[in-house]
Amino acid sequence: MPNKNGSVYGLTILSPIIEDEKATPSHDLQIRNYLSKLSTREDSPFALAPGTHLARLVVMDDVIYVGMPACEEHLKSKYLIFESNLDGDLDGYLNGLAASIPEHLDAIWQHCVGYPGAGSRRAFVDYMKACQIETTFFFAAVNDKSVTETLRALQTQTAVTDFIARHQGADASTLQRDFIAFLGYLKSLPLPKAGSMGPHRPIETGGRNE
Amino acid sequence: MSKLNETDIQGFVLRGYNLPVARYLFLHFEGAKHARSLIARLLGHVTTGQRWDGAKPQSTMNIAFSQRGLERLELPDATLLTFPVEFQQGMKHRAGILGDDGLNAPERWDEVWRAERVHAWIGVNGLNAEAVEARCAEVLQAMSETGGAILLGSQDAAAEMVNGRPTTSEHFGYTDGFGNPDYLGVERSSQPGQGKLLPDGTWAPLATGELLLGYADEAGELPVAPVPHLLASNGTFMVYRKLHQNLATFRAYLDKQAALYPGGKEKLAAKFIGRWRDGTPLELSPDGPNPSIAQDSLRSTNFTYSADADGARCPIGAHLRRVHPRDSFGFNGRLINRRRITRRGLPYGRFAAEGEPVSDSEERGVIFMALNASLSRQFEFVQQQWIQYGNDARLGNDKDMLIGSHGGRGRFMVQGDATTTNPPFMCGNLPDFVELRGGEYFFLPSITALGMIAMGLVDPR
Repeated sequence: MPNKNGSVYGLTILSPIIEDEKATPSHDLQIRNYLSKLSTREDSPFALAPGTHLARLVVMDDVIYVGMPACEEHLKSKYLIFESNLDGDLDGYLNGLAASIPEHLDAIWQHCVGYPGAGSRRAFVDYMKACQIETTFFFAAVNDKSVTETLRALQTQTAVTDFIARHQGADASTLQRDFIAFLGYLKSLPLPKAGSMGPHRPIETGGRNE
Repeated sequence: MSKLNETDIQGFVLRGYNLPVARYLFLHFEGAKHARSLIARLLGHVTTGQRWDGAKPQSTMNIAFSQRGLERLELPDATLLTFPVEFQQGMKHRAGILGDDGLNAPERWDEVWRAERVHAWIGVNGLNAEAVEARCAEVLQAMSETGGAILLGSQDAAAEMVNGRPTTSEHFGYTDGFGNPDYLGVERSSQPGQGKLLPDGTWAPLATGELLLGYADEAGELPVAPVPHLLASNGTFMVYRKLHQNLATFRAYLDKQAALYPGGKEKLAAKFIGRWRDGTPLELSPDGPNPSIAQDSLRSTNFTYSADADGARCPIGAHLRRVHPRDSFGFNGRLINRRRITRRGLPYGRFAAEGEPVSDSEERGVIFMALNASLSRQFEFVQQQWIQYGNDARLGNDKDMLIGSHGGRGRFMVQGDATTTNPPFMCGNLPDFVELRGGEYFFLPSITALGMIAMGLVDPR
C-alpha cells in the first residue's frame, strides 16, 4: 500500500480554499496568519493530538510560471496541503485529531470548501478522506517505531547516558544498587511531551538555515 | 578551466603561507575618498597568488572588507544590496543561527567586535616578528598619510616555536592544519583525502566555485555573488573568529575523565579529536600514535569511515569526524562536498608546556579564519548542524565536544569495542573548552576588484 511504509502512514490531504472576493483578508491569508502563529514544539496542535511524527501545513496559491521554455499553467483553486507521518490507521488518527484539537482544525479548515467542522466526527473523517490523495512515495525518518516508543526511547537514552556519566568508575555494589534505584526511577517517569526533545534554538526556521 | 589567474587572486585565498607570525589589523574608515586613496596606495603591495618559486617573501599583506566597510567606501547601493544576506547582516547578527550563545554570546565579545565598527581586515604574515612589524609600519604609515582609516585594534598570532622551528600545534596540544580541501585549478602540493571522494575510492579536487566566486561550484552553478561579476569574480568570503581556549579547564577535564578511562589519557585525548596529539589519524592507527603515518602526506589525510560505522576506532562525535565527515553519511561522501571550508589562521597567546600551571583567564586561543564561496551554505551550515547539533551524525542534540557551546551540560560518547583498552566511555557535564571572543564576515576581493573599489569604478549596471 503506497500510503504506508512499515507501520508509518504517509498522509497527504489537499483541501481547496474558499475563493471569496468579498472576504478581507482573503481565506488563504487567514490560514497563513493562523499557521504562522502555531508552535513547532510541544505546544503544536500536532504534538497535543496523538500519533503524529511529523506534520506540515502549506498554503499553495498557484503554480508559478518560471519563464521559457516552461508553459504557463494554473491551478483551479488555492489549496491547503496537509502532510503527516502518523502511527496506525487513518480513521483512528483522524478521529484522534478531531477529539484532541477540534478548535485548531476548525480555525484552519473553516476556510476550505465544504468543511463540515470537527464537531461532526463522522462528517469530518469523511471530508478529510475525500480530500486525500495517494502519497505514492514518502520518507519518514522514524525507524518504524511509534511516536510513544520513540519518545520513550529518547528519554531512556538520555537518562541512561546521564547515569553512565555519573557512575563511570563506581564499584560494582554501588553500581548495582544505584542501577536498581535508577530503573525504578526511569519506569516512574512520565512520557515526555511530543515536540519537547529537540534542541532549543532562538530561531524558528525549522532546522536548516537555507 | 585549467589554470586560475593567480596574479588576480589574493594569495591568502590560494595558499596557507606557512609563515609563522601574523598580525591582523582592524581598520575603521572615516570617509570614502580617503579610504579609497588608502586602498589605492596599498594595491601594489597586496600579496597575490603568484607562485614564489623558492623566493619566499619576508612578509605578506592581504585585505578584506566587512559589509559596513563596503558601505563606508560608498559602493553603489545596487551593488551593496546584492551581497548575500548573511554577509550584509554580519556575524554578530547571525548569533542565533550559529549558536553563539552562553559564554559565546556577542555581549561577551571583545569591544572591537561588539561595536561592529571594523570596516576592513588587513592580514600580515611574516617569517618573524620583525618582518611583520616592518610591514605593519608601512601599512600604518599609509593609513596616516592618506587619512584613509584609523586602527581600532590588532591581533597578534604566532605558531609555537620548538628548537627555533615553527610547529603546527595548538594550545590543547594537538597538531593542527591537516584538513584543507583541494580545488580545481589551484596549484598546491595536494594529498589524498583533501578533496572529494570518488566512487572508486580515490580523491579529486573540489569545484573551484566552492572557494572562489565566479566559477562553477559542486552543483555546476555559480555561487551567489554581488554584481557586477567583475567585483565578485576571483574573490571569496572570509569568516574571522577569535576562539579563546580555556586551557586549565581542558587539562583538568581530560585528567579527570582519563582517570576513569581504561585506554589511558592520550588515547582519550585522541578520541576527542580523531587524531593522536601528534596528528596520527585514529582511523589508521587506533592503538597509538605513529609518526610515520602522521608525517606521510600520502597517508595522513587518506582515510574514510565506512569501515568504522560504529565509531570503535574514531568516535562518531570526534571533532575531526564531525567537521569533515568524509563518507560517514554514505553516498560515497557526496553529501558533504558542498559543506567544505578552507581554514587559515594561527594560535595566539603564550604556549604552556604540559604540567605548567595555567589559568583560563590568560589570553590564549586560535584565530580561526575560514574561506568559502557561500558563508551560509558552507561555514554557517557546518557550525549550525555539525558543531552545535548532532542529528546528521545520529547523535541527537549532542554538540561538538571541543568547540560546542555546552554550558556544563554537554556530553560526548566514545564508542568502543569489547577489548579492555578500548571500552565505550561517556564524557558527561562538558564545559565550554572554547569561547568565541568576537569576529566578523569579510569579503576578500580580487586584485582587479580592489582596484575598482580604490578608483570608484564599481558599476552594477
